[in-house]
Amino acid sequence: MVIIIIALAALLISGGNFYNKMSDSIAGATKNFVTLPKVKEVPFRLGLDLQGGSQLIYEADVKSLPESEKNAALEGVREVIERRINIFGVSEPVVQVNKTMAGAYRIIAELAGIKDVKEAIKMIGETPLLEFREKDDSATASTADVDSKKLDELNKASDDQAKKILAQAVKGEDFVALAKANNPAQNIGVGNDSITVGAENDGDLDWVTEDVNPELVKPVKSLVKGQVYKNLITTKSAYHVVKLEDKRLRDGQKIMEYHLRDISFPIYTAADLAAAATSADGADVKWKNTQLTGKDLKRAVVNFDPNDGSPQVSLEFNDEGAKLFEEITARNVNKQVAIFLDGYPISIPTVNEKITGGKAVVTGTFTATEAKLLAQRLNTGALPVPISLVSQQTVGASLGQQSVNNSVKAGLIGLAVVALFMILFYRLPGLLSVGALVIYGFISLAIFKLWPVTMTLAGIAGFILSIGMAVDANILIFERLKEELRNGKELGRAIEDGFSRAWPSIRDSNFTTIIVCFVLIEFSTSVIKGFAVTLLLGVIISMFTAIFVTRNFLKLMSNKWLIKYHWLITSVKNKKEVSPVTELK
Amino acid sequence: MYKIIQKRKIWISISVVLFVTAIYFISAWGLKLGIDFTGGSLLEIKFGANKPNVIEVSEAIKDLKLNSLSVQPSENSFILRFQDNSEEVHQSVLTSLRKLNDSKNPVKLEQEGTSTAAVTANNSFEELNFTAIGPSIGQELQKKAVYSIILVLIAISLYISYAFRKVSKPIASWKYGVATLIALFHDTIIVIGFFALLGKFWGIEVNTSFVAAVLTVLGFSVHDTIVVFDRIRENLPKSADDFENTINKSVNQTLTRSINTSMTVMFVLFSIVLFGGASIKYFALALFVGIFFGTYSSIFLASPLLVVWNNLKRKAQ
Repeated sequence: MVIIIIALAALLISGGNFYNKMSDSIAGATKNFVTLPKVKEVPFRLGLDLQGGSQLIYEADVKSLPESEKNAALEGVREVIERRINIFGVSEPVVQVNKTMAGAYRIIAELAGIKDVKEAIKMIGETPLLEFREKDDSATASTADVDSKKLDELNKASDDQAKKILAQAVKGEDFVALAKANNPAQNIGVGNDSITVGAENDGDLDWVTEDVNPELVKPVKSLVKGQVYKNLITTKSAYHVVKLEDKRLRDGQKIMEYHLRDISFPIYTAADLAAAATSADGADVKWKNTQLTGKDLKRAVVNFDPNDGSPQVSLEFNDEGAKLFEEITARNVNKQVAIFLDGYPISIPTVNEKITGGKAVVTGTFTATEAKLLAQRLNTGALPVPISLVSQQTVGASLGQQSVNNSVKAGLIGLAVVALFMILFYRLPGLLSVGALVIYGFISLAIFKLWPVTMTLAGIAGFILSIGMAVDANILIFERLKEELRNGKELGRAIEDGFSRAWPSIRDSNFTTIIVCFVLIEFSTSVIKGFAVTLLLGVIISMFTAIFVTRNFLKLMSNKWLIKYHWLITSVKNKKEVSPVTELK
Repeated sequence: MYKIIQKRKIWISISVVLFVTAIYFISAWGLKLGIDFTGGSLLEIKFGANKPNVIEVSEAIKDLKLNSLSVQPSENSFILRFQDNSEEVHQSVLTSLRKLNDSKNPVKLEQEGTSTAAVTANNSFEELNFTAIGPSIGQELQKKAVYSIILVLIAISLYISYAFRKVSKPIASWKYGVATLIALFHDTIIVIGFFALLGKFWGIEVNTSFVAAVLTVLGFSVHDTIVVFDRIRENLPKSADDFENTINKSVNQTLTRSINTSMTVMFVLFSIVLFGGASIKYFALALFVGIFFGTYSSIFLASPLLVVWNNLKRKAQ
């Protein structure tokens, strides 16, 4: 009874999809009069060789680490690789750390069903390194001499242009038009009052007070409304042509406000040149590293600039990162800080003020996809130690399918021959053992699904072989049974003795197979492991079915009935020794 | 009853001849090791409907200067083997071959009467299989393979010595273990020798699954041997016959079972060899050969050895 329940449960698990289809068709045929409950379909976990996919083996370079830190570092590598693989949407990636006998550390990544291995290899191998760099003043100074000539030329041009525009403005040409044509993008002012005026800017500085911007306000405050200041105003960063649009008392206060318009012409410094060179090609070394890197990042998310909808990446630092970031921004107010990814600047914003709270935004010229990728890569973090690809195995999906079909076909043909042989040679017990083997097959498949055991081609071979072993257990029992009958024992007794005498052989021989399986599992190539695991489980289950299922099947047969139809079991009726070969008819 | 043990000289001679031949094959030719053991790359490529020939394929990747390249046409694909194993080489090989395929199978979208899908199917270029193994891994696997075979041999012998510990007359239980070990060693060498022969004349390589096959043969062969020994263990105390006849009786009693079991397994393996996927074909063949000789050795080698040993001991006394 127990056997029947187990067998049915196993059947439902291993053949769940067929059962559900059948249930559907029954419901359809009887117009939903008979509706069988559905079972959950448990899929097999297919190995790489069956569903296609890649196995990548990396070797980690841990030479520089002390012995005690190696395991932790490898675990870190494993986690990073797993996160990077997850981006690819691989179902259940397997990433394992493996220490070899020679002491090398390996990471084995199995990506089942992956479409683009090339991309995955690129992604896994990369070490995205996010760095925040600040300007290296010493480096700038040393290059200043080289660039000073270029700098003078630039500033002379700027000065000439400024004088020309001043003359036009003083003459009374439309100031707004001049401003739009000549204003380069730049920041004006300091701190909270700083604003950016761009090329499309009409130079409108809005209402400012003398306190906020003394350099511009002081010379023009005595002018009449609408007048342009007749000289160039030179500040630290630019030549300015300034027009006083209006002036008034700030509401309720005794402070004068001035509405100014400004056309400015930058005065370049060596640092500007350096920055320009750096943004043009990232290989410039005039940036020096700060201690802040991607490892201080808590997370990165993509969002969109509320003003123009362009994608940007928001960074959130951990406590240490926030502290570092605050320090960096504090000492670089009004200077540029560059964000480097893998040694290339991706964004060089100017710090307007000290930023506390550990949040920053990286803007740059990326597309939404690039921004997303950057955020993902930043989130997955950097590899703690360098790794190199030492082995790769990729199986195309179509080849896998072909192998499965061929091997399953081969297995079925083989089993059919075995079943035929058993029935012809051992008659009724043979038939019963085939029944027991079918139950054995279902139980094994159900366990493979539930465990779950990864099915590889070698795993299927192991399973087929274990069926062979299960048959062997039955053969041992039946041979013994025949012998006991030959020795004149009555049937019921012969069955009992046949089982109990065959058991030591079955136990010992299967035990050696189990030993072999454990060695094979240690052998650790995933293919061979799959073979060993299915064989191991198969052998254990086969002992169970041989002893419990076959035996109880035989016992179920009524003794009288079996004695009457004695030929069903064997042609041997008495003590007379019959040479086994003559039984082959 | 067959006089198996009595004719032991014949059986042992056959085993010795097979064993020596196998040793000769192994030492003269050695096994043709696959890239699992040597390191390198194996790439299997399927081309479109208009297949290039071997020379065209070799020409297409000539510029890459691959080390020890071999191009081998298969059923409807090509198998390329080369020593380099870096990802860059892999990608450049793929690019070159894809170019070759495109020139052989130009995509004609305007082709009348054929849908676009059909045209692309004709042009289909597919990487069926790619394996690249670094030389260090290969070396390591070789070492591991040898270790695991030795480990299995020792573990099995120890287990048998343990399982037969209660049998001490007329020969000690560890001698059962040693007899098994000799039989197992004999099986292993014959299978390896057989594959040395296949490698020499048919270019068949051995890989890690071959090691698995050999280990399984060990398990199976010992399976057979144990069944015979178990019967000897059972018969010895109650037998009126001498040692030699008791053993012969035991072998005969288990003969049908040994042959039947091996036959059922060999049916399955034979159908895998004939119909199975290419990747497990040789795995099944190794098992087939191994199980055949494993059965032979358990009947005709292990048990006779016990008698020979016992006789030697008696002579010495």
